[in-house]
Amino acid sequence: MRFLAIAVAAAVLIALPLVTTGYVVYLANLLLTFTVLCLGMHIVIGETGQFSLAHAAFYGIGIYAAGIAGTTFGTPFPVSILIGGLAASAIGFVIGMVALRMRDIYLALATFAFGEAMQWVFLNWNAVTGGPNGLRIAPARLFGLELVTDKDAYPFVVATAIAMLVLTVIVARARLGRSFRAVRESEIAAQAMGVPVRRTKVVAFGISAFFAGIAGGMFTLFSTYIHPDSLGFQTTILVLTMVVVGGLGSIGGAVGGAIAFGLISELLRQAPSFQEIAYGAILIVFMMYAPKGLFAFLADRFRGARHA
Amino acid sequence: MPELRTPLLSVENLTIAFGGLVAVRDFSIAVAPGTIHALIGPNGAGKSTTFNCISRLYRPNAGRILFDGQDITRLPSSAMAGLGIARSFQNLELFNELTVYENILIGAHCHCGASLRDRLSARPPHLAAEIDRIIERTGLGAYRETKACNLDFGHQKLLELARALAIRPRLLLLDEPAAGLRNREIAILDGLLTDLARRDGLTILLVEHVMQLVMSISDRVTVLNFGTKIAEGTPQEVKSNPAVVEAYLGKETALHG
Repeated sequence: MRFLAIAVAAAVLIALPLVTTGYVVYLANLLLTFTVLCLGMHIVIGETGQFSLAHAAFYGIGIYAAGIAGTTFGTPFPVSILIGGLAASAIGFVIGMVALRMRDIYLALATFAFGEAMQWVFLNWNAVTGGPNGLRIAPARLFGLELVTDKDAYPFVVATAIAMLVLTVIVARARLGRSFRAVRESEIAAQAMGVPVRRTKVVAFGISAFFAGIAGGMFTLFSTYIHPDSLGFQTTILVLTMVVVGGLGSIGGAVGGAIAFGLISELLRQAPSFQEIAYGAILIVFMMYAPKGLFAFLADRFRGARHA
Repeated sequence: MPELRTPLLSVENLTIAFGGLVAVRDFSIAVAPGTIHALIGPNGAGKSTTFNCISRLYRPNAGRILFDGQDITRLPSSAMAGLGIARSFQNLELFNELTVYENILIGAHCHCGASLRDRLSARPPHLAAEIDRIIERTGLGAYRETKACNLDFGHQKLLELARALAIRPRLLLLDEPAAGLRNREIAILDGLLTDLARRDGLTILLVEHVMQLVMSISDRVTVLNFGTKIAEGTPQEVKSNPAVVEAYLGKETALHG
């Protein structure tokens, strides 16, 4: 079953640029970027059970850091992406150390406030971010290679997304992943087992910010322009919705949610005034009828049908 | 004579207050290595408070806690496992969505190994035999891959114990291990705890209301009432102590228990 899913995914990823137009490839690039954002959100909220409502801010830090590195300093794009990830995670660790003294709704509010503050910084730090004019991003470069079109960028976007997926699986299986889940399930018991709870939360937050920063770096591979408007709370909520719709707590859910909900939201772009209402409605429907997410819901149905 | 040996755990003049309410007053206890020591008393006597203080969840207002001669009064709760102090919880604190195996594996958190390969391993091979032994010993063999929340209450209690054993403890703190168990399950627990102390040399301090278990397995019993110690001795001595009978056991237990 899993093998089949991987085979189908690989076939689709390979065939996509061969049989489709630029717009579809752009969409694929964007969905893969959101997949990495979702994996980061999954680590902090799905694995560790901590609220983080600053995901768009870390994404933005990644975009600006990678974009400025590549455009102004001409770094090769793998280095730019890494700079994006490291910048986001460095700030993530610092914010995590302060914010994770709080829990639940207070943690949610603190991270929300940080997200809003960062958007204000993006909008007003004209010298660095270009402020309300946005930032032009030069085509990504590596030695002689220059990524001009979406199709040029696509293989590297795919490779980065796969690398981050593999990294997620490695972390989840490792002792660190067990510590994350222990903290999620019972902080008091985790502590009694010798898991350093505070440090584990900060590490989860930092890794999650790293993923968001890498996603920001991926964005610079296929985009020429970024404006602070697209780095607000709405984007965080979009990522959160993807993870919840896919199924909180599972890697497959995070990936599936990003792709399924990403497609839905792209279809809804035709009717922008309904977009937000539709997001809300979808979230409510899932909370009510499939709280474990789309994939657990389908798996249950499938299993039920087989047993019937 | 266990009393003559240096205690593994000694609590000296512990006082814990919540606001104006003094929960435990000037309480001392010495637990000899390799013995089973029970802490009993009526509800609200301060047993669990004392327990949570020893496992460093509460900070005492006064007094010291010594483990193997080391002052642990100011250490964080997460340092206890590394020292070899394990505990179970009165109201189960399992990792509910995780399997029995993974629960126990997290108990072995401190023994997973420092090399990168060990750190990345989903099931560190060097722990496999030990975890198998713990699973077998606690009778959880049929439930290795069952989620903790899907176990019945008796097996959840056993899983708390199994997870604590994976810490490789020298001192085991059990908060009401028999509460809510059926007689048959209490008999299994009785055998298991006795075996852990007699054969493995584990030191056990337990809070318990089930007198049948306390009187059967304990080497020593300490009785708390209103936050102060009112009696201490062998199960026989405590059972026949008039102050204990008055405060807690009642005449019925004293005569027939």
